[in-house]
Order: sequence, then structure tokens, then C-alpha cells
Amino acid sequence: MSELAIRRGAAPALEVRGLDYSYPRAPRPALVDVSLEIAPGEFVLLAGRSASGKSTLLKAACGLVPHFHGGEIEGEVRVAEIDALAAGPGELAAAVGYLAQDPETQVVSTTVAAEIELPLEMRGDAPADRARAVEEVALALAIPHLLDRAVDTLSGGELQRVALAAALVTRPRLILLDEPTSQLDPVAGDELIWLLRRLNEEWGVAVLLAEHRLERCLAAADRVMAMEDGAVGFDGAPGEFLAWSQVNDAALSTPAARLFSLAGIEPLPVGVRDARQTLRGTGIGHPPHVAGGRVPDPRSSEPVLSAKNLWVELDRGEELRDVLRGIDLEVRPGERVALMGRNGAGKSTLLRTAAGLHEAVAGKLDVGSIALLTQNPSDYLVRERVGDELPGDAGMEALRVVGLEHAADADPRDLSGGERQRLALAIALAGRMEGELLPGVVALDEPTRGMDRARKDDLVTLIRGLAGDVAFVSHAETKATRPAAVVVATHDVEFASAFAERVVLLGEGVVIADGPMEEILSGGWYFATEVARVLDLPGVVTPEKGAAVLRGELG
Amino acid sequence: MRSPFAYKPRRGPLQDASPGAAVAYLGAIVVVAFLYLNPLVLLAAGTAASLAGILAGVRGAVRAALRMGLSLALLVAAVNALVTSRGETVIARLGDWPLFGRVDVTLEAIVAGVSYGLLAAATIVAFAVYSACVDPDRVLRALRPFAGRSALTATLVSRLVPVAAVDAARLRDASALRGPAAAPVGKAPLARRLLAGSLDRAVDVAATLELRGYSLNAPRARSRHSHSRYDRRFYAVAAAVLLAAIAGKLLGADDFQAYPTVAIGFGPATLAVAAVVTASGLAPLRHGPKRRIHSADGPKSLSVRDKSARRRQELDRSARRRGVARV
Repeated sequence: MSELAIRRGAAPALEVRGLDYSYPRAPRPALVDVSLEIAPGEFVLLAGRSASGKSTLLKAACGLVPHFHGGEIEGEVRVAEIDALAAGPGELAAAVGYLAQDPETQVVSTTVAAEIELPLEMRGDAPADRARAVEEVALALAIPHLLDRAVDTLSGGELQRVALAAALVTRPRLILLDEPTSQLDPVAGDELIWLLRRLNEEWGVAVLLAEHRLERCLAAADRVMAMEDGAVGFDGAPGEFLAWSQVNDAALSTPAARLFSLAGIEPLPVGVRDARQTLRGTGIGHPPHVAGGRVPDPRSSEPVLSAKNLWVELDRGEELRDVLRGIDLEVRPGERVALMGRNGAGKSTLLRTAAGLHEAVAGKLDVGSIALLTQNPSDYLVRERVGDELPGDAGMEALRVVGLEHAADADPRDLSGGERQRLALAIALAGRMEGELLPGVVALDEPTRGMDRARKDDLVTLIRGLAGDVAFVSHAETKATRPAAVVVATHDVEFASAFAERVVLLGEGVVIADGPMEEILSGGWYFATEVARVLDLPGVVTPEKGAAVLRGELG
Repeated sequence: MRSPFAYKPRRGPLQDASPGAAVAYLGAIVVVAFLYLNPLVLLAAGTAASLAGILAGVRGAVRAALRMGLSLALLVAAVNALVTSRGETVIARLGDWPLFGRVDVTLEAIVAGVSYGLLAAATIVAFAVYSACVDPDRVLRALRPFAGRSALTATLVSRLVPVAAVDAARLRDASALRGPAAAPVGKAPLARRLLAGSLDRAVDVAATLELRGYSLNAPRARSRHSHSRYDRRFYAVAAAVLLAAIAGKLLGADDFQAYPTVAIGFGPATLAVAAVVTASGLAPLRHGPKRRIHSADGPKSLSVRDKSARRRQELDRSARRRGVARV
């Protein structure tokens, strides 16, 4: 009998029976007849599109629903045999830990040590027990060096680990995570997932993880549950989930699974190692070398963004620091550039400097007209009518470019997440267009946070339309004859492979790689697509291209 | 950008002291400032607070507070000079001003304004040092058993203030990035947006507190860091400052009169109070008893820390000689 089967015999870490829930004044229920069981020590991945009920289910499991959010609830939720509908989140805190998307609002103390110690103090643990528990969880999460730091000096990844430590310090039997990697770079995201797996294996903590980027965590999961319109659409093994997603919702599939599906290879792989083993089994060891992507001709047109030896210094909490250190970069009209790199590498700073929010301390920067959309599109929306945000012909033209001319009378709060993002982009564009011509540079900073794949596909279409890719202009139906250069700072390698033709990789404020997307995203491990990691072929990064290569090999 | 007044964890007597001791010490300086109007004593209180901050390693907070406090002092002095016509030494006749009427700037009004300004400046510096040196978590922990709800509110506010500051900076950036043809963001919509965002943030922070068990009525265990070896020093200094201030007050050390002519007392009692208050600024001085030892390289001094390490080495050597393991 496997260890998991033995643990299944014990009381479940989470047991949900016939759960229906509606938020106060919501037009439709968020959860519909949800039933599930998670065994102690199980690692369960919660998949599903945006607004499918993933976050609500997690909140019901930690007691925030209904105790904190209110609403109407029916059914049964038990966490480690505690009735979650009767007990509040405070009582459940000893049995369940919860980590939400935004680490900023998950810390309530000034220093890291105090933050981690707080749940134990609230429980009335003795000082010596608290000291030991804090030390142990800090060691487990590799953050003992952060214990004396102030929380407002931590990076996003560090803050997320601290919040995780505070959730784990009571040694809960279940940990719930709501897209914990959405704000992390690929390196920090992978580290967090494997850290969870290690804690799951060594501490026996059951994990329920909601994620959009499934390729990142599918291989770590014992089981996958997919939510569809508030109900459980699928519950089974990762391999079976991939087969289900091919038929029921292709947007939930992973790039490696799409690669195999397009190439007609079975079974679909749950991860890179699995895919490589299958390919070895089919005798496809080393497909032939494939030429890289198109390299833009540097002399084709005048650059719309040019940085020469650009230095930018910022106050990063502790002291002044050179965030950009001698950046040389040229971007030309029509280019689609992905700006990548670890958290703190300088991606956002470069875009913000180009848009005039920061001053360079040395070097030269030439930018014509630039429209920048920052990480939170809702920051741009301050009025209650779309037309009031964008009055006049120039406003209507900007709305038309992003495909929202029909929504002039709508309330921005009634728009979908993707539409709100496009509205914010229209606000940034308004008046920066010369008649119907787009500004020289359109820049987007981390536009895919918390997005499911369907919304990312819409964004890819918009970006390619703005950059004048004729196959994609129908979305905006723009009459613009001058395409914009689109520069997107992103951590999402799969998204970058879908829209970009060039990738600029930053590291500690310097350009460490700059070249065609296919070349950069297939030449590494962290900043490489799943397909590139599976095939390990220069220039092959997308499922479509990889499948073509595999089909040629098979044929 | 991080505020210079934000608490930053670092080691030092004032930072290590319990919140009660730190509050007593800095509070005593503020009390002196409020008890006295004599500019010399007020100057001493400001100097003591600044000295305390510098010795505690928060020069940035002291610098920012001095900038703010002295600007305020100048403003108070200028406004008092314009609105108060009392005093016999007229140094400028500025004629009739709308609202103000006849404006005669007198030396006495300026000196009285400077006195009030010094009081404000000394208080600002003392609060800046408190803010930068005293861990708010420890203060809240100390408050919790006595005033749970107030501590909860203070925790929410202390977390929300920096979060709201970040949100406000983000909204300002978004406002600056709007295209020229987009409707300009007025202050009212921006404030409304910030308020709505802050309420959302408050809900998130409150949810986190709930998840951490803040609502539990579990027995509160004693804090790990409730006392420090520096507490006595700060309590003693606070008591000495208060005693000196009260005694000085009774002995007429607050000898100051602005009107009709300026009379500032520099008597022995005033000088003694000013000296005690100024010296109190040395309380956060970190000092270990030093002694001269002679080594092969010549004389050198050892701090307490060096001595502890040396003592451990001696014990280890002694244990090895005796053939026993020392744990």
C-alpha cells in the first residue's frame, strides 16, 4: 500500500460536501454543489479559468467564506475534522494556512520575525516554543537571513516567502495557495513550487494550489481539480486532466501537452521529464537543428526608442542603488519586444524611465512618443463612464484602436478584466496618437498578472495588431499606417513566446541577452518555454513549431 | 521611497530597550519642552533629542525632523511677528495690510515665535527618533493586553499607512501617464479612488489579521523581548530629567518673558536644567568598559564583545587542558 493510500485512510485534511455559496448581492452563485476530499499529505492543483470559483473555494476552506465575506452558504466544509462553517478563520488557523496572490496585504507586522511569530502569539504559545517554531520555519523556507529585516524592504518574492512562513508556522495540516507565483519571476516561481513540494513531502502538509500557469506546477501535483462555473468539472490524476482539457477546455492545457497533441504523440506529458522520457521511448532523441527567428534589420528604420549607456539610480528602501547600469538598447517601429529578467532586474525601471517617471543619472535616452500601461490598469480608471475618461475625437480614436468604441457609455466597473485593461491602454494612448497614427512606443508592464490563457490570447492579438502585424489588425481595425513598437515587461515566458519577436533579457540592471525570441527563449532553463525545455532545440519554443519538427521526424 | 522616519531594525541601546523605557526617556524630553518656554532649555531639549537619534544611528530621521521642525519654527516665528504687535522694540513698520491691519514687527514677537517654534521642533525630533528607533510591533504587543481593540486599530493603521502611500504613488504615476487627450484626473476623483482602494486594502489586511488568529481570546504569553538590560538606564535618565525639570521650574529656571521686552534668564538653575537635559541625549550611547591590554603588537583596547570571545577561548583552552569537552 502506498504512503498516500495509508494517509488517505486518516481523517481528510479537507472535506467539502454539497457546497453552494453566493457572495452578498451577487447575481449568481460562486460555488455550485462542490464536493471534494483532500487526503493528508496530498498535493492538489486547482485549475480553472478566471472567475471559475477557485479563490472562493480556497476562502471557504480557510473560513473567510462566509465568516469574513458574508453571503449565503449551504453544505459542509470540514478542515482536519473542524467544522469550518461553525468555526471562524481564527480557530481554523491552527489547522489551515492561507496564502493569497498579493503579498503586500498579507503582512501586518514591521519585521519579518514578528510577522512569523504573530499567529503563535495569538494562540498563546510560550516564548521558547515560539522562538523555536520561528527558527524552524525560517530554516525550512531558507529565510533565516531575513528575520531581522523590516518587511517594507523585502522584494516581492521574499515577501511571499515570509507570508508563507507565517501561514506555515503553526504547522497546519493543510495549506491553501491562491496563485502565489503570479507576481514572481520564473526563477522565484519555480523555487516556490518545489519548496511547497518539499514541505509537502517532508512535513506531510496537504497542499491545495490554485494556479493559471499549470506548466509550472503540474509535475509537482498528485491530483488536479478543474473548476468550471463554480462547480468541479474534473477531479483526477494530472495525466488524465491533460486528456480531459484537450476535449473540454484547451485553454487549460499545458504547452508540452499541446506539443504532443499536435504531434499526435501519447500519453500527454505532465512535465518536462515526463515528455523527454516519452520522446526517448518513441525514438525521437535529437530532432534536427532548426533555424532561429527573424532578426530585425537594424538599418530598416529610425529607432523610436534609443538608450545609450543609460544609468538610473533609485532609492530601494535601504539605500540608493543603481537599478539600470549602462543600458544600450534600440527599438524600431513595428518591433514586438519582450523585456525579461528576475524581479528587480530593472525591467519596470527601464519602461518608467522611458515614460519620464524616473530621471536618468547618466547616459542618453531618446524616446519619441510613448504610452505606458503600468501593472495595475485599474489605477487609470477614476470615472464612472468610459466616455468621461476619454472625451472628444481623440478619446474615441483611442477607444477604437483598442476595440472598445462600443463601450463609451459603459461603467468601467462593468467591463471584464481584459476590457478594463484595454480601456486603461486607451487612456494612455489618448492624445499621443498623431491623428490615427499610433505613438512610437506602446509599453506594457507585467500585463498578464492573474490572467488565464484565454485572456492572454486576446492580449497577444491586441499587441500584434498595435505592432502592425497584418494578420492581427482586425481586432482594432486600425487605419494606422505607422505601426508602434510594442515593449512588454513580463515574467511569463509562454506569453512572451506568443507575442514577441525579440527578447531583451536584463540582469541586475544590464542587458545580458538581446536577440530573436526563438533564440533567447530556447537557450536557457528558467527563461525558456516548456517546449524548449522538452525538445532542447535552438529556435524551437512554441508547441506549433515543435510539433512540426516532431512530425517531420516521425514522418 | 522609504520614509526616513520608518522603523528600521538595528541593534542599539534605544532600539533594544523595551517600548516603555524608550517612551519614558523620549517622553521626558518632550515633557521638558512643554514645561518650559525658556529658549535655552528648549534648545537643550531639541539638542538632547537630536543627540539621542544620532547616537541611536538614525541620522536620516534626525536630519529630516530638524529640516521639518526648523522650517516650522521659522514659520511660527514669522506668523507670530506678523499677527502680534505686542512688544516695545519695533524693528519694522510694514503699514496697513488687508486682514492683518497695521503690522509692526517687534523683536519680542519674533523671540516669542522662536520659542514656540523651538518647542515644536524639539517635539518633532523626539517623535522622529521614537518612530525610527522603537519597533511598533513591540509597542502593539505591549498594548494588546490592556487595549485589544485599540491595538487592532493601531495595527491596521500602521500597516495601511505604508500600503496607502504606495497606492497613492501608483495612482500619481498612472495619472501622469494618462494621454494628453484623456480627461485630466482632478484631486477629488483621485482622492475618491485612493479612498476606495484603501478600503479594499483594509479589508485584505483585516482578513490577514483574522487568519493569523487576531480575534482569538487565547491567553497572552509573555513577550520574548519584554525587558532589556538598557531599560534601567533609560528609566533612570527619564526620572533624572523630569526631577531636574520640576525642581528647576520650582526654583525659577523657566525665567523667560517675551513682552513687553525680552528677558531671558541665564541663572544657575536654568543653566543646570539645560545641562541635565542636554546630557540626557547621551543615554543611547553604546559603550563597553574598555581596558588596556598588552599584546605582542603593542597596546590595544578590547570591547566587552572582544572580552567575551576571549573569555570563551580561555575556558576552551582550560577545558582542553583538563581533557573535558565544554559545551
